[in-house]
Order: sequence, then structure tokens, then C-alpha cells
Amino acid sequence: MANNWAPKTKVDWFLTVLRVLALGVVTVGLLAFIAQQISVDNPFARLINPDATGLTVAQFRGLVISGLSQGAMYGLIALGYSMVYGVLGFINFAHGEVFMVGAMTGMITSNKLDDAGLWESNFIGSLLFIVVVSMLVCTLTAVIMERVAYRPLRKAPRLIPLITSIGISFFIQNTSVVLLGPTSKAYPDMPDWLTAKRTFLEIEGTKILVICVAALAMLGLWLLVERTKTGKAMRAVAEDQEIAGLMGVNVNRTIVKVFAVGGAMAGVAGILWGVLFRSVIHYTGFLPGIKAFSSAVVGGIGNLGGSMAGGLFIGLAESTGPLLILEPLGVSGVSQLRDAVAFAMLIGVLLLKPSGLFGERLSAEDRA
Amino acid sequence: MNGNPLLDIRGLTVEFGGLRALDGVDIQVHEGQIVSVIGPNGAGKTTLFNAITASVEATGEILFEGRTLLGLDANQVTSRGVARTFQNVRLFANMTVLENVMVSQHCRTKQGTFGALFYTKAFRREEAEIRARAEEILGFFGTRLIGFRLDQPAAVLSYANRRRLEIARAMATQPKLLLLDEPVAGMNPVESAELTGLIGRLREEWGFTIVVIEHDMEVVREVSDRVIVLDHGTMIADGDYHEVSSDPRVIEAYLGQGATTK
Amino acid sequence: MFGTRKTSRFRIAFKTAVVLACLALVLSACGDDEDSAAPEAGTETTAPATTVAPEEMGEEVLVMEHLGDGSLGTVEVEPGEAVQIRSLNAITGDVAFFGLPIERSVVLAIADYGQVHGFDVDMGTGLDDLCSNDGGQAAAQIIVADEDVVGVIGTSCSGAATAAAPLITDAGMVLISGGNTSPALTSDLAGTPGPNYSYGYYRTAHNDLFQGRVMAEFVFNELGITTAAAIHDGDPYTQGLAKAFTDAFAALGGDVTGFSAVNKEDTDMVPVLTEIAAGSPGALFFPIFQPAGDFIAEQAPGVSGLEGTVLLAADGLLNTSYLALSQTEGMYFSGPDTRFGQNVNASTGKSAQDFLAAYESEYGEGPAAPFWAHGYDATTMLLDAITAASYVSEDGSLMVDRQGVRQYLDNVRNYQGLIGVIGCDDFGDCGSGKITVVHHASSDDPEASMGNVVYSGGGN
Repeated sequence: MANNWAPKTKVDWFLTVLRVLALGVVTVGLLAFIAQQISVDNPFARLINPDATGLTVAQFRGLVISGLSQGAMYGLIALGYSMVYGVLGFINFAHGEVFMVGAMTGMITSNKLDDAGLWESNFIGSLLFIVVVSMLVCTLTAVIMERVAYRPLRKAPRLIPLITSIGISFFIQNTSVVLLGPTSKAYPDMPDWLTAKRTFLEIEGTKILVICVAALAMLGLWLLVERTKTGKAMRAVAEDQEIAGLMGVNVNRTIVKVFAVGGAMAGVAGILWGVLFRSVIHYTGFLPGIKAFSSAVVGGIGNLGGSMAGGLFIGLAESTGPLLILEPLGVSGVSQLRDAVAFAMLIGVLLLKPSGLFGERLSAEDRA
Repeated sequence: MNGNPLLDIRGLTVEFGGLRALDGVDIQVHEGQIVSVIGPNGAGKTTLFNAITASVEATGEILFEGRTLLGLDANQVTSRGVARTFQNVRLFANMTVLENVMVSQHCRTKQGTFGALFYTKAFRREEAEIRARAEEILGFFGTRLIGFRLDQPAAVLSYANRRRLEIARAMATQPKLLLLDEPVAGMNPVESAELTGLIGRLREEWGFTIVVIEHDMEVVREVSDRVIVLDHGTMIADGDYHEVSSDPRVIEAYLGQGATTK
Repeated sequence: MFGTRKTSRFRIAFKTAVVLACLALVLSACGDDEDSAAPEAGTETTAPATTVAPEEMGEEVLVMEHLGDGSLGTVEVEPGEAVQIRSLNAITGDVAFFGLPIERSVVLAIADYGQVHGFDVDMGTGLDDLCSNDGGQAAAQIIVADEDVVGVIGTSCSGAATAAAPLITDAGMVLISGGNTSPALTSDLAGTPGPNYSYGYYRTAHNDLFQGRVMAEFVFNELGITTAAAIHDGDPYTQGLAKAFTDAFAALGGDVTGFSAVNKEDTDMVPVLTEIAAGSPGALFFPIFQPAGDFIAEQAPGVSGLEGTVLLAADGLLNTSYLALSQTEGMYFSGPDTRFGQNVNASTGKSAQDFLAAYESEYGEGPAAPFWAHGYDATTMLLDAITAASYVSEDGSLMVDRQGVRQYLDNVRNYQGLIGVIGCDDFGDCGSGKITVVHHASSDDPEASMGNVVYSGGGN
């Protein structure tokens, strides 16, 4: 890898300068942050940002937990992008909308449960119920999407299903506006015992819940993909559709399963969104979708563990980046730059490791 | 040679945009035979395999055990009992040796996603069976593909081992008919001789009927009951090795190309 | 296969897309500033030359003759045609609660007003400002393409007016807003025009300098809190109001511990709240909109350092749907004084009660936000101006002098509207500037909280 970095052409020189700059900004920012944490009057901290105040431990922990819980959600959505890309080689941009459908389904179901009085009296049962319903609805949405929009285009150039997916994305958003209206809709209140700060490190229960549910979903998916024949069939189809077919794998059915599993994960993520933010609107899927897609790319698209790691990375970066790196550098209005930080991290990772953090580096022969 | 042929190909034609890669080929293969298909480059040998395994569109008729294979999907052809290897090895490079052989038993198993999700007893038993069969098949190739190699990705294997694994993977689909596309290509003489011996054992010990495309005439003479010669998409000879090697059309086809029959 | 090649090509395409997207973000952020920096040089100088002193403008003169010198052109309305005005408000999305009542108030005001010199008035189809710069620009382009339009009631959102006002006023039309409150659109109330001021722009809504000042007085004097921070969302309205608040708070002797911004689409507010928490403010003012406002109220108590901070918001969030959220309980909201009482609109003779009754019977619900009265008064002012600046020619057409419309509006003083006494200053601020602060007691009864006034102030 190192020899790839040795500058050969002007473009290589340019990229090398960019890499050094990116690393430099991050390093100086972090050093300044550490300096101001040690002492706000530290000359190094004062030099770069005279108004630096630093963070308390509790505030720092709050940022990290918030980034992790959001990142876990990105990771779950990213799995769907990654799996479809791995198997079909195109980006299903409508996947973010499947996530939105999950969040909407959870909103409708949880409010119904709340009306029936079950939400408060049996919160865990209700939560399980809305997760299952949301997974079912999202699975169905994803499967129908594959059958109606993508299967007829299986043999078309990759750009065509990509554009189609953008169209589907708008279709689902607008359908949501027609059916549910254009305003944001709220989940019922979470029970007090959940929202109260737990004694354990004073972390909010909702965030612990989100991280645990995401970890469970990820574990289930990992077992499915690594340990079962369905998973092996998925990986076989991802590697070589034609050969997989010749080895007796039903390619169409396997692709449907890939969409179904991706949809189910988006369904879980939709509920986690509801638990975290309690508010959903028809464009809820857009930005998380783009971030999840970035997570998949950061982690190495096609690699499931990488997607999850990429999600956590992007979530942490956008949560802590503005205050850890930009604020000590004296940038103003840093919180508004969080999306910029998230995408800058994406570019930074791709500059340093073009295949993503966990991207498989296949030799030309293997790919041939 | 009695009874209906296992594979009965009649008037098989494959066109690529006006170019006829196969032009009205008739081939019969009976159960238990080992048939070699030879011919100069571009004669249509691999296209013949592709037509049988539904990788290309073909016209004419391909009957397997009396039922047509035309119009099926690749995985359906495999379920009927046809398996193949490839001229340029095409393994699932990122999956392990064991997984490569397990995944190709896919169409022989019954447990669905439901069983997998809930990890039922029947599912676990079947997984154990699949694994046992995979190890048995890999054991056929000696110690090269078992032991620590089972869990290595296919990509790290040596070239000869990759060729062996590809045959093992085809065997795992539990076929009646095995199509081998240049199984010894690129191997050294020692490896090549060993694999030639294995082809005979595949019939004796596993009961496969085998069609093999081969350039190496030593191998062809060694293994074949029958030899079929293709040239420019048509069959120009069909008989045992000695008949075919003395056929003037065959000699012309090879000499005309500058090749020799050794 | 082609795996490697495809992958790398995709990656390059993706990288390019991301770089472009980032550039676009940066450019759009800068774009706002550039727009606002561009002064409307030409139009301002035309104003003084034709200004008629108020005492010369007796009522008799107005009907006999007409106002205006024709310098901005004349709109000819042929017999049987209608005088064209337009409504440009936020009527879709999360802010529809705010713009829709204004559009409806235009419809009702036209109906109450009746004809102008025997000619009907037509609003056409209500246009949408989308509460954004782009939305305002797109709709304004549609409006100015129709040369028969005399004036426009709008926009709802200051961000939309930033783009729409220059286009509409350049076309010789007037733009009267019942909802904009950003100081940048008019002036700092001390004689300096705002960066986005265009001659021909007026508003009946208050200038947010009043609102910021009243909120600051309330926090500092009434609540006795001496440290405060503010968050805006980059929109000129929210930015202007947040700035007005912190400036006034500092002027009172308070300590401003933080001033930050979010994006309208943000959901995870922990980072921005952590940034604010670093200064441990006693009060946090976030005059933004839904849904971002939901998330701040929801997440603030969970951020270390903000547990006891008093949350404050403004009229953008003062609506029943926001107040129905449990996490908003205990918040304070500033907004225009909506205690309209027995005020009667001088042009139509209708009172606020008459209006609400008509609204209820026409639309089957009450208005969700208070700016309906401002929209109503804006419309009657415009129709009065058109009446004053027009005459019926010999062939029966109505001739409306565009310059005369502005001349009339420039000189509005002591006009009685639903919102109180209206008078326009040199930079288009006509509203009363009376501000109230309400306390939100219970999310079970949002209506009660909207009327739960705990402080009032401001006004001319």
C-alpha cells in the first residue's frame, strides 16, 4: 500500500498534499483540544482559539454516547446499502426511504398501542411488537421494490437501476405525504424509567436501548450470513451470480432475500430513530440514508462488519468532530458544520484508504 | 450403449449476433461414459458446455434423462444433475474452502430461512450433514484440501488446488453428469498425471458420467471412452481415440491451424 | 469480470459527488450573505422626490385625483377585468400552520373590502414561498412575469422575502408582509437600512428587534437570570431574532455565554447543546421552527450542564402542535401581542371577532398561528393604496399608478387595523411592535398556554 502513495504524477502529488492536510487539520485540532482540556489557559489552546472553554467529562461522554447511538442506527441502515451493492453492484438510493417507512410504521403502531394503554403498562412488549411490525412492513416494501422496479432491470447497465432508485425514493416520500400528511408526527412519550439517566455512567436509557438493539440485530444478521446456507448463498451470489446459479443457488430468490434482510434491518433502525428522536416526517429517510450510505463506503462497501463500523465511525465523527477538532481550531458556528464534518471524514478515509476501512483488497486475478 | 442416452443433444445451435458458435450439433452421452470433446480454439467446445448449463441461449434440443434442459435457469439445470467446472477457475474467492463446497449443496437441501433464523433441530442436523459430505468430498483429493485448509479463503490456494477445489465444488452438487472444462490446463506434468487418474476414479468411485474438454492429448487418450471433435461449431468426428486420431478431417482441422496431435 | 474497474469508477464518481455536495453547501451558505450584501441602489433614490407631505394628502384630494407621478408605470385594468394582487405565503410543509392563515386572511380581506372604483380584486391562486430563499425566488419570478399584478401580500418567512423582495420591488410592485420579522429586511430602527431592504417592501408584522428586546427584558428583569445563550438555524428570521435577543441581553448587563446554529434538518442536537452547555447558561433562546425545535426541547435536559436551563422560544414555535409535545412544558415563548380586543379595521369595519367567526365558518377551524390579523391589515392597506393611486379613465379602464401605491404606503400614519395602530416608518416597518411573552403550563391544554401572557412590552 505504501508504495501506492509514493507520488508519481501531478495528481499523486495533489492527493498526497490533500492527505497530509487532512491528517494535519485533524491532528492539530485534537492536540489543541487535549491542550485546552489539560488547562484552558494553556498557551497552545489560547493561541489557536482564545475563546476555548473545554468540555467536562460528562459532556464528553454525552457526545460519545450520542454519536454511538446515532452511529449504530446508521450502521443498521448501511447494511442494506452494502448488501445490495455487494450482490447487485448498484446503490439502492431508495433504501433510506425504507428506513423512513419503518419509522412511520413504528409511529402509527406505537400511537395505537398508546391509545390502547399498552405502551406505558407493557413497554418492552410494545417495543418488541412495533419492532416486529416495522420489520415486516419494511421487508415487504423492500421485496416489492425489488420485484417491481429492479428485477426487470437486472440485465440493464448499472446506472439505470441507480436512477430508478432515486425515482422510487421520491415515490415513497410523496406517497407518505399523501397518506400521512406533510407535517412531522410524534411517537408517544417514552416511559420515565427509560428516559431518566441510568446510574450506570449516567447514560440515558434510550441510548443504551438503541445501542443494545442495534448490536442484537447486527449479531443476528452476522449469524445469518456467516453461519447459514442462506447466508452462504448470498455471499456466493455476491461474488459471482453466474457461478452461484451454476452451483445450484436460486439467484432470484437469493436476491429477494438480500432485499428482505436489508429491509428488516432498516425496519429495526426506523424504530430506533423513533425511540431516539420521537419525531418522524416524510424526509426523515433522506439525510440518515445518505449518512448510512457514507458509512457503508467508509467501512468498505460490500463488507457487513465494515458497514457497522463505518456507521459508528460516521456517527462519532459528526457528534464529536465539531467540538473536538473544529472548535479548538477557532472555527465559529461549529455545530452547523456537523454534516460537513461527517462527509469530510468520508473523503478523508477514502483519501487514505480508497477501499474503505475494512474494504477487501482483491487482487486483479481474483476479480478477473 | 443400450437404453436411452443420459444426455441427448440434437441439432444444437448457438448464435452470437449472426456468428454461429455451434451449428446443428448432435451428441449422445450414455450413463457411465467418459467422453472427451476436442477441437481447435474457437471450435465451440466451451459454448457446448454453456448451452447445456443454460449460460447461453440455444436452439435445437438438449434432453437430459429424457427431459429438456432448454429454457431452464442455471440452478434448475444443476438440480437436474448437471455440474461443471471452468476453463479459467471461477471459485468464490472470498469464501473458505469448506464454504465453497457447502454452498454448492444448496439445491440438495430442504431447510429454509425459517429454520436458519430459529436454529431448529432439523436445521442443525442438515448443516451437520452438509458439512460431513463436504469434508468427504474434499478428502477425495487427499490431504491437500482438508485440515487447516478447510477454513482458508479459496483465494489463497495454489493454482492446482484451486482446480481441485473447483471439481470438488461441482461434485458437491451431487450431479449425474460432470462437465470438466480443461481440468489439467496450466498444471505441471506430475499434477496433470495425478488428476488424469482422478478423472477415472470419479467414475469408478462416485458413479459420475463425465464429459471433459481437453487439449492435452495424453489425457484424452488416457481417460476417454469416446472422443468427439468439434471444428467451427460442427462435429467432424465421433469415435474412440484411435479412430478419431487417424481421421483425415481431424488431422486437417488441427494441421490447418498449425497445431499437432502429438 | 469487471469488478475492479467498476468499483474504482464508482468511487471516483462518488468522491466527485461528495466534493460537489460540500462545495454546494459552502456556496449556498455564502450565497445568503452575498444576496444580503447587494444593495438596491436604484430604487432607494426614487423615494424622496415624490414623497407628499401627509398634511397635503387630504381625503378629498385622494379620491378626486390620484397619487403618483407615473414614474414606475401604470397598470391598466380593462372594464370587466379584475385588479390583480397575489398572496405569497408558506402554505405547505411544517410551516403551513403559519402561512396558511395569512393566505386565508387575504381572501377574507378582499371579500370584506369589496370593489376598488367598481372593479373586482382578484388574488389568483395562492403561491407558496416554501419558507425558503429558493421558494421565494421561484414564486417571485412567476409573479413578476405577470405585468398586471399591482401588489403582493407575503412572504410568510423572512428567508423567502430576502430573495422575493428585490425581484418584486424591481418590477414596480409592492410586497407587504404579514409574517416577516427579520430586521435585515427593513432597518435597525435607528435609521440604518438592513442589508436586505428594498424600497417597495412593507410589513405589518413586528421587527424582531422589538421581540428580542422584550424577551431579553423578561429574562433579565422578570426571571432574574443573568446568563443566556441562543441558537438559530441559519434562516434570516431565526438568526436576526437570536442576535436581537443576545444584543439586547448584553445591553441590559447580562452575560451571553454562547451563540450557535443548527441545520434545519438536524435531529441529533447533543453536539450543539454540549457546545452551549460549556458556558452553563441560565436560559437558552432558540427562535427556530419545527421539527428542529422538537429535538432541542427533547434533548436539552439530558445534556450535562443544561439540566436546569430555562428554555425560551419565539413565535415560530408558538403553535398548538409544538405546545402539545410534553417536552415543551415549562417553556416561555415570545410573540406578537395577539390581544386584539375590540380593534376594528378602519377600511372594512370588521373586528377581530368578526374575522375569526368568518374564518371559522369558511374553513371549519380557527387559525393556527396569530399572523392572520397582520395579513388582513396588510391586505386592506394595499387595497386602500390601490384605491388612492388609481382612477377610471375615459374608456372605462382602471389606471393604477405603481408609484402612487408606494407613495400612499410610505405615508400611512395612525391607520387603525386589527393589530392596533399602524404607521409605516422610512424603511417599511408598519407594525405595532407590541410583544408578549407566554408561559407554557401544560401540554394537555396548548390553547390555554397560548393566551397565558406573563409579560408584555415593546411597541412604538
